[in-house]
Amino acid sequence: MSRSAGIDIGSRTIKLIVIDNGEVVVRKKRPSTYNPMGLCDYLLEGVSYDTIVATGYGRHLFKNYRKGEVITELKAFAVGAAHIAPSCGTVLDIGGQDTKAITIDPKGGVERFEMNDKCAAGTGRFLEIMAAALGFRYEEFAQEARLASRAEPINNMCTVFAESEVISLVTQGVPRSEIALGIHKSIVSRAINILKRVSTGRTLMFAGGVALNSCVAGLLREELGVEVIIPDDPQLVGALGCALHGQRS
Amino acid sequence: MKSVEPIFNDGFAGQPPAKRALGYIEDQKKNGKHVVGIYCGYAPVELMIALDLTPAVLCAFSNATIETAEATLPANLCPLIKSSYGFIEKDACPFYWAAEAVIAETTCDGKKKMFELIASRKPLHVMDLPQLCDEPEALDNWTTMIKKLKGFLEKTFEVQADDEAIEQAIRENNQKNRLVMEMLDHSALENPVLGWAEMLDIVFYATPGRGKLINDTLEKGVKVLQARVQNGYVHGRKGAPRILITGCPTAGDAAKVFKIIEEAGGVIVALDSCTGMKPFSEMIAENTGDPLRAIAQRYLKIPCACMTPNTRRLFELDRMIAKYRPDAVIDIVLQACHGYHVESFKVGKHIGERHHLPFLKIVTDYSPGDIGQLTTRIEGLIESIER
Repeated sequence: MSRSAGIDIGSRTIKLIVIDNGEVVVRKKRPSTYNPMGLCDYLLEGVSYDTIVATGYGRHLFKNYRKGEVITELKAFAVGAAHIAPSCGTVLDIGGQDTKAITIDPKGGVERFEMNDKCAAGTGRFLEIMAAALGFRYEEFAQEARLASRAEPINNMCTVFAESEVISLVTQGVPRSEIALGIHKSIVSRAINILKRVSTGRTLMFAGGVALNSCVAGLLREELGVEVIIPDDPQLVGALGCALHGQRS
Repeated sequence: MKSVEPIFNDGFAGQPPAKRALGYIEDQKKNGKHVVGIYCGYAPVELMIALDLTPAVLCAFSNATIETAEATLPANLCPLIKSSYGFIEKDACPFYWAAEAVIAETTCDGKKKMFELIASRKPLHVMDLPQLCDEPEALDNWTTMIKKLKGFLEKTFEVQADDEAIEQAIRENNQKNRLVMEMLDHSALENPVLGWAEMLDIVFYATPGRGKLINDTLEKGVKVLQARVQNGYVHGRKGAPRILITGCPTAGDAAKVFKIIEEAGGVIVALDSCTGMKPFSEMIAENTGDPLRAIAQRYLKIPCACMTPNTRRLFELDRMIAKYRPDAVIDIVLQACHGYHVESFKVGKHIGERHHLPFLKIVTDYSPGDIGQLTTRIEGLIESIER
C-alpha cells in the first residue's frame, strides 16, 4: 500500500498527516504565515509520500504549486471524522475563520452542511482577539472562563464590535473571568444555531482548533445533551481525511 | 468557448453583456428613439414600446462605484442600489446618460428612498407597486399606476398610443419573450448547450430590445443553439451537476458565484431572477379589449420577494425544477435584501421537503472578499451531489 499524505492549509494553522498501511506515520502542524507555500515546503521537507491531497483555504494555491488533488474541508473533515469515530453523525468544525456543521453518512460522505458567510464571527480568531482584549494568554483564557460563577452576556458577534463591548464592560468593573465566560457562551450558542440547521440529535464530533478550548467543549456538552467526541488532536481531522481520501482514490 | 459559434455573432461576443445592450440603446438613440430608464422587472416595457420609447435598465452590478455611493448611502444597504446610485453620483453610467426620463418602481424601501435622492436630476416617475399582489384591489391599483405612467410618458415625450398600438406592442413583445424562453430552454436538455454567460447575453440584450430587429436576432440565436444540439455540443462537462439559481438579480461582479459554480464542476441550467427568465416567462393576454389591464395582470405575476406571501415563487420553482431538472438549488441573496433573505427560509424548506434537493443560500455583495468562503461552500455542495 502506498504512502498517502494529507495537508490542511488553514487560515491559522497548517497541518500535515502521512499514512502508511493504515498507520499514521507523520503528524505535524505549524501556525500559518504570510507565506503558506513556504511553510508547506518546510513541513514536507524530508517527508516521503506517493500521493498528496490538500484542503483548507490554501488548497488551490497548493494544487498549482505542487501536483496534488484538492478536496474541501467539508469532505476532509467528514472522511476524517467517520474514520476516527464511525458512530458520529454530525461534525462541528470551528477553525480559525470558519464554523462548519456537517452531517455525514457512515462512509464519511457529506449529507448536508452549513457554514458561516464571509464573516469570521464566532471562530477561533474571534476567541484569540477577545483573549487579547482581556489581557489573557490564549491558553489561560478558557481556564479562567470556567472558573467564573456567572457569565456576562456578550451581545455582539462581530469581532470589532465585540472588542468594543468587552472594553466597555472592563471599564464598568465587570470581572474579566465573567466576561470571558460570556464570550465562550456566545460562541457556543452561535455554533448551536448553525448545528440546528443540519442536525443536533446525533453523536457529535467536535473538531478544529477551537475544540482544544476546554470551556467551549464543556459548554457544548451541557447545551446539546448528546455525546460529544473530541479526538486526540482535533486540528488534524481534516489532514487525516485528506490522507484517507488519497489512499482510497 | 472555442470553435463554437456565439449565439449573437456580433462585435460584442465575449464582452460583458451590458456592452451589447448599451450598443443597442445607443443605436436606438441615433435613430431618433427616446430612451427611458427602468429599475426593475415590474416596469411595463410593452407600454414603452407602444409609445415608441426604448427602455434602458439602470440597475448596476459593479463593485467599482460602491465606495462613491457609501459617502451618501449606508454601507449596510443592497449593493445593487449602492452600485446604481454610485454610477449616477460619479456621472459614469452611460445607460443613465442615455435615459431622458426614469421610471422608478417601489420594489423595496432602499430603492424607494434612493429614488428621492436622484429625483431632481431627470424627470422621474414613481410607480407604487402593490405588495399584496393577490388581493383584488392590487390589479385595479397597478392598472391605475400603469395608466398614470402612460400619462407621464405621453406628456414628457409628447407621444401618444391608442389601444391598438398597445396591443401591437404586446404581440411583438410576447413574441420576443417566447423566443427568449426558446433560447433559454436549451439548458433544459440533458446535455445543455449554453451556460450562464450566454443566458445573461440573451437577457441583457432582450430587455431593452424591441421590434423586428431583436426578434430576427433571437430567431438566429435559436438556430445557432439548434445547430449546437445537432453537432453534439455540450456546455461544460457531460453529466455535470445541474444547478438552478434563484433569488436576487445577479450579474457583473455578483456573477462571481456563477464562475465559482462552473470552476467547481457544476453547470447552471436555469437563472430564476430578474436577470434571468423572470421577466420573460409569462406572456400577456392578447386582444382582451383592455390592454393596460392585461399588462398589469401579467406584471403582478412576477414572483419577487417584495410580494407577500409570494407563494407563486414556490409554484414557479416547481415548474422550473420539473423542466430544468436541477441537482441542487442555490438561492442568491444580495446583502441587506431583506425580502429575499427572509424568504430564503421558506424556499429552502420547500426545495428540501417537496423536491428533496440540496439547497444552498448564499448572502453576498459585489466585492471579491468572500470568494474563499464561497468556493468552499459551493465545492462542498458539488462534492455532496457527486458523493
